[in-house]
Amino acid sequence: MNVWRSLTAVNTTDPDDARRRGLLNILLFGVAVISLLILVATFLGQVSSDPLDNQRIELSIGGLLVGSVVIYLINRFVAGWLASVLFLLLLIVGIAFGDTPNELVSGRSLYEFVVPVIFASILLPAYSTFIFVILTDITIAIIAFSAGIDPNLPAMIGFLIIALVSWLSGRGLENALRDLRLLNSELEQRVQDRTRDLNDSLIREQTETRKNQAILQSIADGVIVFDEHARASVANPAVYGLLEKPESQIIGATVDQLMEGVKTENQVEVKTLFAPSTSLPVPLNVELGGKTLSLSVAPLLAGEAGSGGSVAVFRDVTREAEISRMKSIIVAMVSHELRTPLNAVQGLAEILQQGVYGQLSEKQQQTIERLMINTQRLMKLVHDLLDQAQIEAGTLKMEQVEFSPADLLESVREVVAPLAQQKNLAFELSVDPDLPKTLLGDTQRLGQILINLSTNAIKFTEKGSVKIHLYQLGLKQWAMEVADTGPGIPISAEAYIFDAFRQVDSSAGRKHGGIGLGLSIVKRLVNVMGGDIKLSSRIGRGSTFSVLLPLLQPEPHLIAA
Amino acid sequence: MMEHPLAIIVEDDPDLSTVFAEAVQAAGFSSESIYSGDAAIQRLSSAPAPRLLVLDLHLPGVTGDRILDFVQDQPHLSNVQVIVASADDRSAQALYGKASLVLLKPISFIQLRDLAGRFIAKEN
Repeated sequence: MNVWRSLTAVNTTDPDDARRRGLLNILLFGVAVISLLILVATFLGQVSSDPLDNQRIELSIGGLLVGSVVIYLINRFVAGWLASVLFLLLLIVGIAFGDTPNELVSGRSLYEFVVPVIFASILLPAYSTFIFVILTDITIAIIAFSAGIDPNLPAMIGFLIIALVSWLSGRGLENALRDLRLLNSELEQRVQDRTRDLNDSLIREQTETRKNQAILQSIADGVIVFDEHARASVANPAVYGLLEKPESQIIGATVDQLMEGVKTENQVEVKTLFAPSTSLPVPLNVELGGKTLSLSVAPLLAGEAGSGGSVAVFRDVTREAEISRMKSIIVAMVSHELRTPLNAVQGLAEILQQGVYGQLSEKQQQTIERLMINTQRLMKLVHDLLDQAQIEAGTLKMEQVEFSPADLLESVREVVAPLAQQKNLAFELSVDPDLPKTLLGDTQRLGQILINLSTNAIKFTEKGSVKIHLYQLGLKQWAMEVADTGPGIPISAEAYIFDAFRQVDSSAGRKHGGIGLGLSIVKRLVNVMGGDIKLSSRIGRGSTFSVLLPLLQPEPHLIAA
Repeated sequence: MMEHPLAIIVEDDPDLSTVFAEAVQAAGFSSESIYSGDAAIQRLSSAPAPRLLVLDLHLPGVTGDRILDFVQDQPHLSNVQVIVASADDRSAQALYGKASLVLLKPISFIQLRDLAGRFIAKEN
């Protein structure tokens, strides 16, 4: 097989050329073998009894054999097309001299001329078949005329038809092969592209993984990934230090095991953080061995690691917590210390005002009243600061006692109505008849909210009214609404109006006084009560603050009693 | 003048003490001012026992709630009415029941005068 392959190997890059030259080699081999067989048969006297015939056969076969070798060499080392042309010509010549003119023109050898016509379509570009059919027809005509015989015209036309069919099939073969090659090369290109893409993405993924790994390793925050069975599956080195546990005690441990000995500030169970219902990751401060850690937990979204797990991030906020605590303590202390002298100033002024030390002139009386009003303002500021500090320190506690909404409004009226009267504003209080007559809540704080909102409204309203309305909202909420006919609050201010120490515009602040704690305290109080505050306002028309609170009612037997 | 019942004011801030003293006097008491916890224990251990005790919780030395416990433990002080003055509403809440009245600072002259006056009215 190797000998055959090395003998038939041709030196070309054109696949068509290679195919044709390979084919030619096979044909040449076939011709050589047949020639040798005929030659042997002739020597043995098996072909013809006529020695002249034998001589002619020997000559033409010998010529065919030599020609085949020469063509083989040309095919192998020079050019395929030349070898093919020579081979076909040799065939025609061989056939032309292979029999008597009679037999050639319209006898037993006539159809041998079909062979070069068909081969031409295979060994050369398909159209060559027409050249060779013409050559063949001319050869037949020449032989016919030189022998004085009428040429066989139907056969010659038949050859043309055969050439047409050969051309069609040869062309079909060539086209099919070209399409196949095109398809092949496209496929090859696609495989190459895909391989490259795959390789690229593999490299990218490896880089990404290494990068993520590096981030996780070097991040200062402690990270633990819990799987769907709430067991730690991944942890970074920072967390070992924060939890004071080695890696071996963390990986595979449950949330409960890891959170052993952890104290929380707000009595919130750490476990509730990991509950699936926790939608927003609100960080919780936890105490662990003298450190304060901020712990936030977020659900692990569906990915390769599967869903149902969670990621816990621990951050050391010991310093921040300490500073915050100190700040609250300082504010509480300062407000406390401020209150005592203020109380003394107020008390002493009252002693004078009440005439304990003798009757005052009208001027003196007015001065004392100014003194008392200003002391009260200072006192209110100190009170607000203390509230703010308590809320920030988380030490503000809410009471749950029975109260009547109507009584609540009355207590507010006592404080606020005089202020409204001073500015000639209508002050209207109403309770919706559908609101239960008794509710549960911290009446002092609820009163504080209403007083804050309504004094604020009076402060900014020059004419018209300030109204408070209490009503039930749906089945689970009730609302306290404070509406004024003041200048309104720009939409741009709505975002920060509830921030501490902010007023909508500082010139208004100077005119109306206050340091902007009122609304901040109201919002925080409302939030501690589990409610929400909303503002709707139109410039030039007025503002309405709506405090929405959970509807808590006393147990039925308490109402009966 | 001897029929004025005695009120003792325990308050470390002298100005506030003055306000409280003026208030109880305006209500009809005679008053005695004490400025520290230790002095208060010493004074309350001896006669005469006051009818009314106005007690600040934040005191140097012995604190107000210790004084309150002392008053409750002493048989000769069993008739003393105690008005606690506190600035801290949480510690004040813990004292409801132990004192006759718990007032949250700031305490106004008029407020204390009127409340102390009620104890005089009760006597009569």
